Amino acid sequence: MPLYSLDPEWEDVVPLPQDDGVQPLAQIAYTEEYTEAMSYLRAVMAKDEMSERVLKVTEDVIEMNPAHYTVWLYRAKTLFALGKDLVEEKNFLNDMALRHQKNYQIWHHRQLIMDRIDDSTGETEFTVTMFEKDCKNYHVWSYRQWLVRRFDLWDKGEIEYIDTLLEQDVRNNSAWNHRFFVVFGREETVPKDIVDREIRVCEDAIFIAPQNLSPWSYVRGVLKKANLPLSTFEKTASFYAPLDNPDKIRSSHALDILADIYAEKGEQKERALIALDFLAKKYDPIRANYWNYRAGLIKASS
Amino acid sequence: MANSLLHIDKHVSYIQSLDTRKDRLDYHLTSHLRLSGVYWGLTALHLLNHPTALPRDATIEFVKSCQHPNGGFGASPGHDAHILYTLSAIQILATVDALGSVSKTNVVSYVAGLQDKDTGCFAGDEWGEMDTRFIYCALSTLSLLGELKNPAIDVPKAISYILQCLNPDGGFGMAPSAESHAGQIFTCVGALVIAGVLKEEMSPDQIDLLGDWLCERQLPNGGLNGRPEKLEDVCYSWWVLSSLAMIEKLHWIDRDKLVEFILSCQDDEQGGIADRKGDMADVFHTVFGVAGLSLLGYEGLKEVDPVYCMPKEITESVLNGYKLV
Repeated sequence: MPLYSLDPEWEDVVPLPQDDGVQPLAQIAYTEEYTEAMSYLRAVMAKDEMSERVLKVTEDVIEMNPAHYTVWLYRAKTLFALGKDLVEEKNFLNDMALRHQKNYQIWHHRQLIMDRIDDSTGETEFTVTMFEKDCKNYHVWSYRQWLVRRFDLWDKGEIEYIDTLLEQDVRNNSAWNHRFFVVFGREETVPKDIVDREIRVCEDAIFIAPQNLSPWSYVRGVLKKANLPLSTFEKTASFYAPLDNPDKIRSSHALDILADIYAEKGEQKERALIALDFLAKKYDPIRANYWNYRAGLIKASS
Repeated sequence: MANSLLHIDKHVSYIQSLDTRKDRLDYHLTSHLRLSGVYWGLTALHLLNHPTALPRDATIEFVKSCQHPNGGFGASPGHDAHILYTLSAIQILATVDALGSVSKTNVVSYVAGLQDKDTGCFAGDEWGEMDTRFIYCALSTLSLLGELKNPAIDVPKAISYILQCLNPDGGFGMAPSAESHAGQIFTCVGALVIAGVLKEEMSPDQIDLLGDWLCERQLPNGGLNGRPEKLEDVCYSWWVLSSLAMIEKLHWIDRDKLVEFILSCQDDEQGGIADRKGDMADVFHTVFGVAGLSLLGYEGLKEVDPVYCMPKEITESVLNGYKLV
């Protein structure tokens, strides 16, 4: 436990306490460590000191309170000013990230560091370790997208990794989102065999969990990107929501897309209305107002 | 049912008690968001019809003590300036009718300096973390200051960046290709509304698809989640609902079930609202729970502005003031 006031390395520093009006009357023991470290950090920041001991005190404060964004900024500034070995900083960040899952300041800091290191070795692997703890961590996914763009990792195992994640949990919407990014995120036209593969991936996922929204949204995105009509998916949707055999309906999302398919075709508006009626009355009544609105649009256009 | 009513008095005393707990560790550990904490508490008190429950002069003094020479505000005195806290500062000052107590020019130049001239997006601070949230913070701050037309800001470019973050599922993410997220949707739609271009930039079909994604967030227990297959959380009562309100589709969710869900997350003894039933209450979920109830027309609450998350009568008076000039 560092006690700055007793440490000879810090004896030249006059601690700068927090000035926010009335001082707390009773400080309980374990806040002392934090307030002391902060007042020494404030003192060196006031002098704009960049030194080894700054790295030490920022590490202490970050350890106790990783959400303190000012401390991260000051640490980055100091690391760069001292020309420190940034790979070592990465090891510190790995450990911090694993113990503070919800913290996001750390990912921005990591991005600054990695941009300087200019070598992505081990990075996607580390995000995998993070995803093993929480496979929907928003900031880690954003970081992974940044890695793919920054280091041109599009074809370096992204699809294979997503396949693994979806095998583990076909409902992982973050993985579906990353898949769309990897397949369609580049500025080039996607060849037909890839489009067909993506449609098949959706069909397989729907087979496992027909009421899982993600592949139904995903396939709409695929068809739109490939300029294909929604009716490309009519056969699959009808299989999970046979309008003429209501007892066999297994997915509200299938009804939803069928309603759009029939409405798009024009001559089958009646069937679209039947699908929407099933949704409003039986399969998704909590959103009845929405389904009735959709039915109203169709009626108004005929 | 023990939870069938909103415990207005308890929530008021809960919020009042927050600033007097300086002897507790969490007071120190949350100094990195103190200014936003004041905004959350103050807004909740106004919506609960107790606008004077926090001392006005001390509030203004605290806000001023968080301002930097660069014009931006930090979360507490001595913290770096950040766009999140700059918005909180301006929201607080607008709410207590004290916008004149800080230099508008400094704030505007700080905000303008955060815009990336190439992409149009705004950074959160001098280190350049980019996020659609910060575009909202920038536009909201500027409009509350009557400075949206300031030539130092490129609003059309910021809007074009937001539109790049629109996903095929109908929602918006924090960056182009990032997963749709209810919190990010609130900020993107809010920015479009503040800029006055929502209906110009989004087709009726796009708005319907967005509404579809948003109302899909309601779970059978009435609560709303922020992404597909995630747990419900009271704060999404605000992010999802306000977005639905801005696109005029609020009626697409089941009102009564959501009211019941929010009320069930109250701390019946100490006051305050938690993310979910049985969890610890905090001021963040308290304001968003109360604001959600206000949007749903719960009786006894002041009307909230879905764009600014502030009392509507205040935003109207502030914004109308600029029209008259």
